[in-house]
Amino acid sequence: MGKRIYALAAALGVALAVLVGVSAGAGGTPGVTSKLISIGGTFPLSGPASSYGTIPQAESAYFSYFNSLKQPGGKRGVYGRQIQFTYLDDGYNPAQTVQLTRQLVEQSKVFAIFNSLGTEPDEAIRAYLNQAKIPQALVATGASEWGTLAKKYPWTIGYQPTYVSEAYAYGQFIVKKVPQAKIGVLYQNDSYGKDYIAGLKKGLGSKQNQIVDMEGYEVTAADVGSQIAKLKASGANTLCIFATPKFSIQAFAIAAKLGWNPIVFNNSVSATPTLMTIATGASTPATTNGTITATYLKDPTDARWANDAGMKLYRKIMAAYYPKGNVNDQFNVYGMSAAWTMVKALEAAGPNPTRASLMAALRSMNYSDNPFLLPGIKVQTSASNPFPIQQQQLTRWTDGKFVNFGPLIKG
Amino acid sequence: MRGERLVKLGAIAGGAALVVVLGFTMTDYHQYQGGIVAYYLIAILGLNILTGYTGQISLGNGAFMAVGGYTTAILCGHHGWPELATIPVAAAVAGAAGFLFGIPALRLAGPYLALATFAIAVAVPSLAKRFDHFTGGSSGITLPIHTGHYLYWASWICAGIGYVVAWLVLRGRTGRAFRAVRDSEVAAVSSGVNLASYKTLAFGISAAYAGVAGALLAIGAAYTNPDTFPVTLSLYLLIGAVVGGLGSLWGVIFGALFIEYLPIYAQKTYFGFAFSKQAPSVVYGLVLILIMLVAPTGIVGLARRLRRSI
Repeated sequence: MGKRIYALAAALGVALAVLVGVSAGAGGTPGVTSKLISIGGTFPLSGPASSYGTIPQAESAYFSYFNSLKQPGGKRGVYGRQIQFTYLDDGYNPAQTVQLTRQLVEQSKVFAIFNSLGTEPDEAIRAYLNQAKIPQALVATGASEWGTLAKKYPWTIGYQPTYVSEAYAYGQFIVKKVPQAKIGVLYQNDSYGKDYIAGLKKGLGSKQNQIVDMEGYEVTAADVGSQIAKLKASGANTLCIFATPKFSIQAFAIAAKLGWNPIVFNNSVSATPTLMTIATGASTPATTNGTITATYLKDPTDARWANDAGMKLYRKIMAAYYPKGNVNDQFNVYGMSAAWTMVKALEAAGPNPTRASLMAALRSMNYSDNPFLLPGIKVQTSASNPFPIQQQQLTRWTDGKFVNFGPLIKG
Repeated sequence: MRGERLVKLGAIAGGAALVVVLGFTMTDYHQYQGGIVAYYLIAILGLNILTGYTGQISLGNGAFMAVGGYTTAILCGHHGWPELATIPVAAAVAGAAGFLFGIPALRLAGPYLALATFAIAVAVPSLAKRFDHFTGGSSGITLPIHTGHYLYWASWICAGIGYVVAWLVLRGRTGRAFRAVRDSEVAAVSSGVNLASYKTLAFGISAAYAGVAGALLAIGAAYTNPDTFPVTLSLYLLIGAVVGGLGSLWGVIFGALFIEYLPIYAQKTYFGFAFSKQAPSVVYGLVLILIMLVAPTGIVGLARRLRRSI
């Protein structure tokens, strides 16, 4: 009797082997057929970074919308090819990112990787994709290395303004409008925090000596109380918060407790309307009022865009293709802006796209009409410029809302 | 009895033959996945020795995987060692760490031991971020990239060695001592089994296996950073060990297949119905509860019961 079970197991095993042994073979460019272009990406849909998980869903909604439009010539899609976007959950674990990216490339045979999210997850797959000459397009991270290492990794390109260019905008503003500033900096002790410091110093230029104190903390720290106390004691009247959301909110709370009311520059990662509202609750309205951050996307909660064509399109697509999504979440606007850019690049890759032609298209972009970005912000790349979006506008948290001001600043 | 032994040998030979055949016929990506199954198998083997055979619960074997993985990453990425040469070193370093952890853990049992091991699972990623000069911090360390074929063979050869070593250890005096500790510490002591030696030895062996698995994970991903060894890794290893069947070497392969393929299949769309992307975590929890209710001895226990009833 026992023998039968082993025999059955063996037979099943062989059948399984035969099934998985069969590999799909196809000639031509992987991921491109006469009807389809297949792209894929990895995102943290679960785990601590899962609030970003709405981004690929918004992107999927945009691609579905685009696939439905009739183009001149009567066909739908990019030269008659529908865009198929597969997104997988890596839980922000780079080992998972590697496995899933290999799956997308080798099993799903995607044409390109699009908007994979996270600095470390993208670092983990960068060498593999460049070795295989597969576009790692429009990576969703603000680290500056995606541009600075463009020569070493030509198949990788970033998208959003870098942390460096964001802090550069703060530095420039301080020089022009807050000349008597004594600057204190709270920074996370990793490449993200250090990128911001580099940008701030660049923006301040010769006025770098106005930085009176810099206090770093480890991601593993419990809180930043001692750092804020030291910054207050240094006599700083301006505070730059280069910290992730949890620590940024703590900074506001502790400053309020210490009775410290500096001019605050909060990094865009931690300064979404939702996070600023939480920070206001954790401290006091007086503490957060006047906080300045930088933005490049239209804010879906801003009444200014009520009749704006781009935001009307955004709301239409959300309602039709992603009704479960939160229309007020700016991450969705981000997603659609990236998807819009990807569609343009795919079109520019030509009627017979190859991975090389897509990469060439990504490196020669010149779009000033992205409907989801603030007016005037260009998506522009060239042989000497690997940073697609470099402009931002400063915006001030005023009575519970962000109010943009000033010109577009190029970092 | 003899017949059954022959059948078991036949199954092992068949399994080995299958592994070899697949190593030449599967696509490179499937071989990559097969390599991952193999190193999960190694980690679960080690955990089974500790928890299934010696009765010491561990929610922290992912941390020992991290020790092994970082050993390999630092030696390869920072000092240019050939990858495969680092595997024995990773085993030794992780084994030593496990052994050292086993000493204070002697005082703990049951839920307290579970908490202590969970604590190291939580602490290790943070420590890796803290000592960033050594470990590369959040940015991590990159290693040379290899094909799925390379990972498959490296991992399965290690798994084969691991199986043989486990079998030899468990069938001899050490194995009997481990089982005695698991079944009743009082009876073990009165039979002359030195609790302290065998418990720390079990931790050391278990951690050494985890170290090998971690080294292979680092080689396969060609990248290590604190997020590649999260707390959930330790939990999945335990789930894999339980699903396979604690206290049996046969079930380990099922546990490894389970934890590798479940997240993939739980994310797919079936006939237009897609599970939530959060599904894997929920499904893990549900499966664990189901197993505890229906088949507490895992797949292997279920198979044994079926065999007896046929």
